Amino acid sequence: MIRLFLFAWLAGQTGTPDAVQHLHAGLEARKQHQIDVEIAEFRKATEIDPSLTDAFVNLGTAYMEKHDYGGAIAPLKRALELSSDLPVAHQLLGYALLAQGYAAEAIPHLEKVGAKEALGIAQIETGQLAEAVNNFGAALAERPEDPDLLYYLGHSSGLLSKNAIDTLLATHADSARAHQALAENYFVLRQMPQAETEYKEALHLRPELPGLHLELGQVYANSAQWTKAEVEFRAETKLQPGNAEAAYRLGGALLQQGKAHDALAELKRSSELKPDMPETLYSLGKAASLDGEPATAEKAWLRVIELEKNTSLAAQTHFGLATLYRKQGKAAQAQHEMQEFQKLQSIIGPPRSE
Amino acid sequence: MPMVRRYTRRNFLGFAAMAAGAPVFDVKPLRGIDFILQNSPTPRKFLIETMPGGVALFDYNNDGLLDIFLVNGGRITEALRVPEDFYRSDPRYWNRLYRQNRDGSFTDVTQAAGLAKAGNGNYGMGVAVGDYDNDGYPDLYVTNYGKNILYHNNGDGTFTDVTAKASVAAGGWSVSAGFFDYDNDGHLDLFVTRYMDWDADHNKICGGDWHTYCPPAAFPATTCVLYRNRGDGTFEDVSERAAIAAKKERALGVAFADYDGDGFTDIFVANDGMQQFLFHNNGDGTFKECALESGAALTADGKGLSGMGTAFQDYDNDGRPDVLVTVLPREIYGLYHNDGGGSFTYQSLESGLGALTSLSSGWGAGLEDFDNDGWKDLFVAQSHVLDNVKQIDASLRYKDVPLLALNHHGVFERADSGVSTPWASRGAAFGDINNDGWMDVVISNLGGPPALLLNRGGSGNHWLSITLRGMRSNRDGYGACVRVNGQTRFATSAGSYVCANDKRLHFGLGSANRAKVEVLWPSGAKQAIHDVPADQFLELQEPERS
Repeated sequence: MIRLFLFAWLAGQTGTPDAVQHLHAGLEARKQHQIDVEIAEFRKATEIDPSLTDAFVNLGTAYMEKHDYGGAIAPLKRALELSSDLPVAHQLLGYALLAQGYAAEAIPHLEKVGAKEALGIAQIETGQLAEAVNNFGAALAERPEDPDLLYYLGHSSGLLSKNAIDTLLATHADSARAHQALAENYFVLRQMPQAETEYKEALHLRPELPGLHLELGQVYANSAQWTKAEVEFRAETKLQPGNAEAAYRLGGALLQQGKAHDALAELKRSSELKPDMPETLYSLGKAASLDGEPATAEKAWLRVIELEKNTSLAAQTHFGLATLYRKQGKAAQAQHEMQEFQKLQSIIGPPRSE
Repeated sequence: MPMVRRYTRRNFLGFAAMAAGAPVFDVKPLRGIDFILQNSPTPRKFLIETMPGGVALFDYNNDGLLDIFLVNGGRITEALRVPEDFYRSDPRYWNRLYRQNRDGSFTDVTQAAGLAKAGNGNYGMGVAVGDYDNDGYPDLYVTNYGKNILYHNNGDGTFTDVTAKASVAAGGWSVSAGFFDYDNDGHLDLFVTRYMDWDADHNKICGGDWHTYCPPAAFPATTCVLYRNRGDGTFEDVSERAAIAAKKERALGVAFADYDGDGFTDIFVANDGMQQFLFHNNGDGTFKECALESGAALTADGKGLSGMGTAFQDYDNDGRPDVLVTVLPREIYGLYHNDGGGSFTYQSLESGLGALTSLSSGWGAGLEDFDNDGWKDLFVAQSHVLDNVKQIDASLRYKDVPLLALNHHGVFERADSGVSTPWASRGAAFGDINNDGWMDVVISNLGGPPALLLNRGGSGNHWLSITLRGMRSNRDGYGACVRVNGQTRFATSAGSYVCANDKRLHFGLGSANRAKVEVLWPSGAKQAIHDVPADQFLELQEPERS
């Protein structure tokens, strides 16, 4: 694309005849993929006519093609001295500078041409993380499944998050949020006693802060302290009665303790708050099955397998339905669901215990 | 389903008092027992190192006192290669038989009994007990990685290795075993679980930098073995013919019961890291594996279990045997309720095991009535497989205390076992060691001595202990269904993990001081005795005619 643009642009260029002759020789060499000849011809053109902008642009381009980014910088800079409004030169110079580690210097050139991905990378290097996240986000809107963009967005967001937390810990070490941040870190590291301590401190400082009880509940759930988990999840549902996640987690903790009836109520509530969540529907079906509401269980599970295909949750749901139908004496339906379960197992592997 | 889940306030307070009450057991030294379970862990993480620990509680000399047989592992060096040498000639690595004396102490009679050494190529695992020749003396079958050994009890305090004559060596890696009479011919047959296709040359180390034992899926599965007792002191391997060998397994625990009441004993196999197996006895010498269709194969979420130990008894007093399976952490011990009609329901959550066991790793297990209230309680010997699990997951632990959970009308609640020191426990064998009417436990611990958990008793509840003497049926009465005051037990010494339990059938009677006893013998003979006084050891002989 850049090449086509260059050819079109060069058509209108003038210079000394000797210089133009070398310029055209360089362009011929490019067609023959003789990159060293190409560089030599463009260089001669620039030496004969130091004001021949297109010779500098082409020389820079040739170095870029040769991955000699250091070599590309000087001719591209000279081209922009001669003509500051050359998008191609800005773009190539931006790339070359970035490749050579001069991220700050690359940024204005990349900004001029709106090269969002490269600009984002340069901004990560210069610590402009929020800007980088914005640029990757914008680029991703155009190429939503680009793996490089997805990586860089995740990477820059993570760095931004880390920076924010570092600042929080440095400036407000005794705040509830600082304790919460530390707790979350301990949780990820599976250091549950430390996570519990930090969450409790955060709750001591700001008992009304949404999310703290939910997260502390998950610490207890991870340690199989279901009674304590229930207390925390219940506290969260009181703080945030409209939080579907809190109701789901509370339902799960109740289910683990065999309190199927109470679990079912919470899971129904969660499902009303946020319908069609497969995990909620699955647990709802399980609680309903245990609590003697087979019709409710069947309805929830049938919805799960509408929403979920070829996943372990779908396999689990078919197994649940098979069990439900077997207990109801519906042999044919039980067999069908068991076959679906086994079919999925053969595709995705047997479900593993957590 | 008669399970009652609603309680009166008085009941509830009673439970709470019990849960918060005194320890159920006293941890007692086994006087005269100097055994150390030598599992010989090495940096090479040979998987066998983490698996041994058989315990048998049986009365080998018929003096009325339970004796203890302990299976040892062996010595493993880092240089271990096929053919393996486990140095079993060295007395430190012998299995041991300890005779109980009248004063409750024990005497090591291993050498005199002819049980010294155990074959240098054998690394010990488990033990089964049964009177396979119906001579009135219990025989021993020891499982190994290597070749298994059948010791015939000569009745004079000695045993003879009759493995070659009986043709029951199995080979490979055997773990648990049990005697039972699958064809009801009056002769005890033998079932042997085998774990995997493994040898020292094909060992693997897993966990990357953590350097851990590998999960079972890292090795090929294998088959279990069923030996039919010909009745002449020899056995034949009928695994193929009986369709046992049709299934590849990673089998550890085994337990027996007639779950569908058809008069033939069925087999439950605890498999590690896969679905569990329920072999239904077709009554014609063959079995059909039907766990999946019966609902006893997976969790309610359709997930496999790391099945290790198992018990096959009726926990909710509905007359039908239920299945318990002990597993690894992040799973929950599996409890499969027998609904009748050949159908099971996974009931771990409703029974309270979700809250009790999701961070526990269980091995030997039993459903026994430890408080004599008429409900079978749960005891599990616990410890993780990986000795460095704490480094990998800080919320888990290698050594653990046992789980004791009292059964309150079908719901289990944690109770104080009395054990405060965590052990790396494996086997758990159940029996009334001191004949006081209260069930005790002997636990094997890797790298350490066994532990005796002596039941404190004392609640005032009554009990009844029944010894069966089969005439047409096998002499041990294994496979009999015994009902006492609404409770049911299936006669067996198998179950748990690598262990053999006291064959006497123990019933707690609560406040009842008399009992109605009904026995359905494997021969089909029925027997009923009314108004039996409580608090006694009762021997029941099979009637010639029902």
